Amino acid sequence: MSVFMDLNVVYSADRSSLRTVIETAAHLGFSAVAINYVFEPTSKKKQEIPTPVKINELIDQLPVVQGRSRPIRVLNRLTVVMSDSSHFRPNAAEYRCFDLLAVQPTSEKLFHAACMLYDVDIICISVTEKLPFFFKRAPINGAIDRGVVFEVSYSAAIRDSTMRRYTITNATCLMESCKGKNVILSSAAEKALELRGPYDVTNLGLLFGLSDGDAKEAVSSTCRAVLLHAETRKTASGIIYTTNSQQEAPGQQEALQEPADCEAPAAKRAKAT
Amino acid sequence: MVRVKSRYLLCEVNVSDRSSLLLLDDRAVAATVKSVVARTHGDYGAAMCTIGFSVKYLNAHTGIVLLRFPKRCYRLLWSALPFITSIETRGQKIPCFLNCLHVGGTIRTCQKFLIRYNTQQLHRMLPRCKNEEEKQQIRKAILSCSLTIGKREAFEDEAESEEDEDE
Repeated sequence: MSVFMDLNVVYSADRSSLRTVIETAAHLGFSAVAINYVFEPTSKKKQEIPTPVKINELIDQLPVVQGRSRPIRVLNRLTVVMSDSSHFRPNAAEYRCFDLLAVQPTSEKLFHAACMLYDVDIICISVTEKLPFFFKRAPINGAIDRGVVFEVSYSAAIRDSTMRRYTITNATCLMESCKGKNVILSSAAEKALELRGPYDVTNLGLLFGLSDGDAKEAVSSTCRAVLLHAETRKTASGIIYTTNSQQEAPGQQEALQEPADCEAPAAKRAKAT
Repeated sequence: MVRVKSRYLLCEVNVSDRSSLLLLDDRAVAATVKSVVARTHGDYGAAMCTIGFSVKYLNAHTGIVLLRFPKRCYRLLWSALPFITSIETRGQKIPCFLNCLHVGGTIRTCQKFLIRYNTQQLHRMLPRCKNEEEKQQIRKAILSCSLTIGKREAFEDEAESEEDEDE
């Protein structure tokens, strides 16, 4: 049995409200949440990519998940809202401090590029406006092959009736093209009262045109696949993972020397592609 | 003999301020569910929601609601429940949301689940106790839980009093 995850909780500067959201998520039975930092570049001036606040600074004691004995896992996530192709810079150093990387394309061309080329984990579908383009089969199939997932968030639908129509329209439009595969449902909650329980979210998938099994996967196993995809993004083609080892004892240093030599070229090669 | 089949949804009312839970009554919950179904599924949903729908049980202390839906269309009616944002009762609007814990075919299975769930809540409460006395009380409450129906009332009362103390 896989665990439930909610990969979108909007970051707010107010620490106590964010903490309540995380506590509520743990109470509802979500084993992992991702704090979402939205970055919306405008063409006029250069803006800074937000830097994530460290989890242990944000919340000192992580609450225990309902029905389990482990504390909740909190991740950082960056969403880049793209209106131009220069807004997404591959290999930017700022992206590396986030666990998950998402883009929200606003035109068909960018959507195609995001599906086929960009090295991201999640493609957000806008739910607050009428879709500016149709989903084509080819880019969506490409994204599914690469393991990139599409995200539909539901809290806009809870807030407002017009948004609910847009959410359901855009979601069903997506489900028709991707047949319910590689879709995640997440909250995008700003307040604790905008979260919903995992079983309710699963059933909400019914309104979005997902089948029973696909809806359940959308909150559990597909989310896990996203996390694993995000980890491989940091490694050399998902095979070798390098970390900075801190000051180790001299005995260990010799043991580590050999693998360190082997993995350096592999990591370099991966960056070049 | 064939019986009328229905589904029972065991839901938890989540509020930001726990003291407002005591204002809830079953008529307010029923009215809220009916209105939200009418809003999301229109006339068809409202029609489905008239026969066979009722609020069977409401525990205002723990915020547990048991809703009964006809089996034929419970998925449709359930899909409207996430859009509840507030319950209006006694002239006040309580911002809240419903979290479904269990779907059962009979009230009995829901009751069994609820006892297990409440025991779990007591276990979660234990590390958050402030003094030794509270700890002792919760330990006693955990030991006194059992699945027999006779003991159920006693356990529930105890669970509630614990919760009040803990808040």
